[in-house]
Amino acid sequence: MDPLNTAPLPADHFMPRTDAPTPDLAVATRGLMKRYGRQIALTGLDMSVPTGKVYGFLGPNGSGKTTALRLLTGLLRPNAGTISLFGKPYTWHDWTRLFRVGSLIETPSFYPYLSGAENLDVLSASGPPTDKRRIDQVLEYVGMSGRAKSPIQTYSLGMKQRLGIAAAMLSDPDLLLLDEPANGLDPGGMVAMRETLRYFTAELGKTVVISSHLLHEVEMLADVVGIIDHGRLLREGPLHDLLEAAGRVRVRVAPEDMTKAAAVLREFAPDRPLYGVDSGDQAGWFTVGIAPARAAEINRALVGAGIYAAGLEPGSDLESIFLELTGRTGTVAAPPTAEPGPPPMGLPQ
Amino acid sequence: MRLIRAELLKARRRTMTWVLLTVALVLMGLSYLLIGLGMSALRGSGSDFGLGILEFPAQYATIGQFAFGIGGLLATVYVAALVGSDWNWGVLRNVVARGESRANYLLAKAAGLAIVLGIGMLIIFAAGILMVFLAGLVFNVPVSNPLRGRGLQDLAENLVLGYPVLLQRAALGFAVAVVMRSQLAGSVVGIALWLGESFLTTVLTVISIPNNLGGFIDGGIQQIGPVWYQFLPISIGGYVLNVLPGGSGLVSAAAGGGLQGLFLKPVPLELALPMVLIYLAVAIGVAIVALNRQEIV
Ligand SMILES: Nc1ncnc2c1ncn2[C@@H]1O[C@H](COP(=O)(O)OP(=O)(O)OP(=O)(O)O)[C@@H](O)[C@H]1O
Ligand SMILES: [Mg+2]
Repeated sequence: MDPLNTAPLPADHFMPRTDAPTPDLAVATRGLMKRYGRQIALTGLDMSVPTGKVYGFLGPNGSGKTTALRLLTGLLRPNAGTISLFGKPYTWHDWTRLFRVGSLIETPSFYPYLSGAENLDVLSASGPPTDKRRIDQVLEYVGMSGRAKSPIQTYSLGMKQRLGIAAAMLSDPDLLLLDEPANGLDPGGMVAMRETLRYFTAELGKTVVISSHLLHEVEMLADVVGIIDHGRLLREGPLHDLLEAAGRVRVRVAPEDMTKAAAVLREFAPDRPLYGVDSGDQAGWFTVGIAPARAAEINRALVGAGIYAAGLEPGSDLESIFLELTGRTGTVAAPPTAEPGPPPMGLPQ
Repeated sequence: MRLIRAELLKARRRTMTWVLLTVALVLMGLSYLLIGLGMSALRGSGSDFGLGILEFPAQYATIGQFAFGIGGLLATVYVAALVGSDWNWGVLRNVVARGESRANYLLAKAAGLAIVLGIGMLIIFAAGILMVFLAGLVFNVPVSNPLRGRGLQDLAENLVLGYPVLLQRAALGFAVAVVMRSQLAGSVVGIALWLGESFLTTVLTVISIPNNLGGFIDGGIQQIGPVWYQFLPISIGGYVLNVLPGGSGLVSAAAGGGLQGLFLKPVPLELALPMVLIYLAVAIGVAIVALNRQEIV
């Protein structure tokens, strides 16, 4: 059986999208397919990145994020499907279109014997015409001015990563494609990157696509998210809407109040199921399908009905949506085995 | 132009550039040490074979062995390593993802390396001429005036005709490294090509010796050819080097060695030089076509 079709997918996802990409999309892919030999990496990716936004590109290991970014930067040729960049169709031959794109794909790659500044110097010789003064500027951005003169082989992981981000920003691109940019960054570096990218989009109107496993990081940064698994997009949309739609609040009441509480809680999300636990040590917990921001309303309604909540947790975050969609919840409920070992990591294939 | 400048920076800062130049110079130095020793011994024994003098343009042929012969082999390895490392270090993807034309990038790389090899050739010739005089001085052997007679013209011919041969030999490493996407593979296959061709042409020359027999009956060796394997990439360059001022007339710098020179008619320069240029163009063309088709991961 084709291992790529085992994932639960929303029914509407089997319909290819036919809407033409519009100019307000910096990147749009339609039915993008890519195989590496017999290994299928993308099975029809429909991705829409609005201009001027931070797009969080999320997916488990091996889901096809890097492959998608390689296709966008002319490193790979798609087997099928179309790409549009800045509102115009883009193929492998339109390489000058990439003058407006800055990218960091997979690990940053440099000449190890050249210094950081020299690497940016030789890089600036390719692609769009680039002012040399820009080199010092981007080194400054990523806090690498101090070590710019040392050879790359003396850099730490995070320093290489910072230089990789600098290289991506070298030619003042309109679109930044960053593949796991937070990899190896210290907390200070993460905050600085977040601020830089925010400035980039909010103030300069540029677009950022950032692939990441750090869901919390993406949650703080992204305007729009796309969740990919098995080479296809499972969900895409404004982060706020996604959290809203998938939102839920957990609330605990005394077991004897459960029936009364259920009536109150059902009012909040009449068309979503209400879960309650009526026995065991989790007894009294309800899960209500509403936006976490509305937790206080629940509390007020319960109090109005004479019920006092013993616990209240806004239950939805990007992580729970991600795990639910991708079905990779392997860390819970590992069956008891004779050999006590770590729970499975839930890798694909 | 900015791409070529960048290639020059990469080459200049790369240790291998200086290591291989040093290897060529040291080997040439050692050989002049032996030549000097040999000559002073000859003069000491009082024999007079006309050998007791370091003469130009004959010395250019010796220097050419290092600039184009050993130098050619080193150039193959060097170019393969410099080109192939773009894949090993993954830096090629930066260039492509920035929207640089793959063909332009390779052409600039080729031009940059051609400049580096040209400078290397000039350094070896300059150092070689210096070593001739040094050997003369140290071992008390007379040295003929390089400026006498055709003088500078001989030197210029060596450089102008030798340079395309050097480039063509290096271009083998260039094409192989791009096709194989690896510096190690490029260097190893480059060397294998040299050895393989040398072996092949020697075997083929030996096999064809019975064809020379007609000549033996008339009391001499009859040269045949030119035959196809004299047109293989390393051999053909040898026929250009062969006619340079000071050249021995035997294909000493060619892969097949002296054997070819003995039994096979030389390929004339009018044929050999265009062939060298064609090989050079084809190697670069193959590299560009290969890169244009490659997926970079
Ligand atoms: N060079 C390659 N050759 C063969 N298969 C590959 C290659 N690169 C990726 N793949 C396969 O393509 C699929 C998608 O890989 P990709 O690198 O795009 O995933 P990813 O989402 O970036 O994963 P990660 O989060 O681990 O970086 C995987 O099944 C992987 O095995
Ligand atoms: Mg990846």
